[in-house]
Amino acid sequence: MMDQLVNIVSNGCIGAGLVLWLWGTWPLVGPRSVLYKLHTLSMADTLGSVAIVVGLLLRIPSEWPLLVMALISLAIWNTILGYVLAYCSTEEPND
Amino acid sequence: MMFFLNLGLRLTVWFLLTADLSPVNIVIGMVVCLIIPRSFTFNHASSLRDWAEAIWQSVVAVPQAYMEAVEIMVRPHRYEDLTLKEVPPRRAPGLVFLDIFAITFTPKTIVTRYDNRGWYEVHWIRRRQPQ
Amino acid sequence: MNWILGPMLLILLIPIYETFQDKDIWQKMLAFASVSTKTSIMILVISVLRDDWMIGLVGVLILSVGNASLMLLAQVLKRVNEL
Repeated sequence: MMDQLVNIVSNGCIGAGLVLWLWGTWPLVGPRSVLYKLHTLSMADTLGSVAIVVGLLLRIPSEWPLLVMALISLAIWNTILGYVLAYCSTEEPND
Repeated sequence: MMFFLNLGLRLTVWFLLTADLSPVNIVIGMVVCLIIPRSFTFNHASSLRDWAEAIWQSVVAVPQAYMEAVEIMVRPHRYEDLTLKEVPPRRAPGLVFLDIFAITFTPKTIVTRYDNRGWYEVHWIRRRQPQ
Repeated sequence: MNWILGPMLLILLIPIYETFQDKDIWQKMLAFASVSTKTSIMILVISVLRDDWMIGLVGVLILSVGNASLMLLAQVLKRVNEL
């Protein structure tokens, strides 16, 4: 019973992550600006991947140290990479 | 303060990576964390309260980010906008990092520039044409 | 749980297509960043499917060091553009 419930929740997390991936990655082929695509990518690559890893974590709780490490590095690196890319791709204001 | 936070962060990473709480491993972890270099800049006016606030902000950012993601999926945000956000003077580098993290983590906002004179440049996506 | 990998591979094709379709270097960088995150998540999923934690360890390591190179590359590109 409990196992089934955990399975359903985990599948739900992974499914939600996949939807976020698709939704956030799709605008990448469009003609929008780099910054706009960064917004959607932060949705796909950070939030979607976090959802997928949480889904995996529910499935195999015994490996939690590694998966928590994956969660932390995912959140921090992706966010800061977004900031660095935004900073580098825009021009310095002249003042 | 900075010192203990730094040490805590390093120890967390060490224990998560090794996944081993035996005494030998704890000693090795402590030694490694104390040996690897850190910067010594302490002239910042940041109190314990500022730290608690900043950490709380980045924790709250997680559910907020998911809410914003759903919002973006339900209603398309087509317009872009650039605003300036003020930073309290002489903020510690760690706090600035946490601020940038909390702002950039949510999908609607991204920090594009941090200026030492006291502001973040924040890029937004919005539903309606900004005035 | 095998059904996950199919959609993942299909979604992975989007940024790969973008990398050789777009001429602008920053759009390419974005696509590469996306590919890097997505593949490492796929490595984690595969390690769970095969029940082999050595693969998972590789995935976690790639996640924690992989993006650093992209950051360096972005800084270098910015400097080169300023010349």
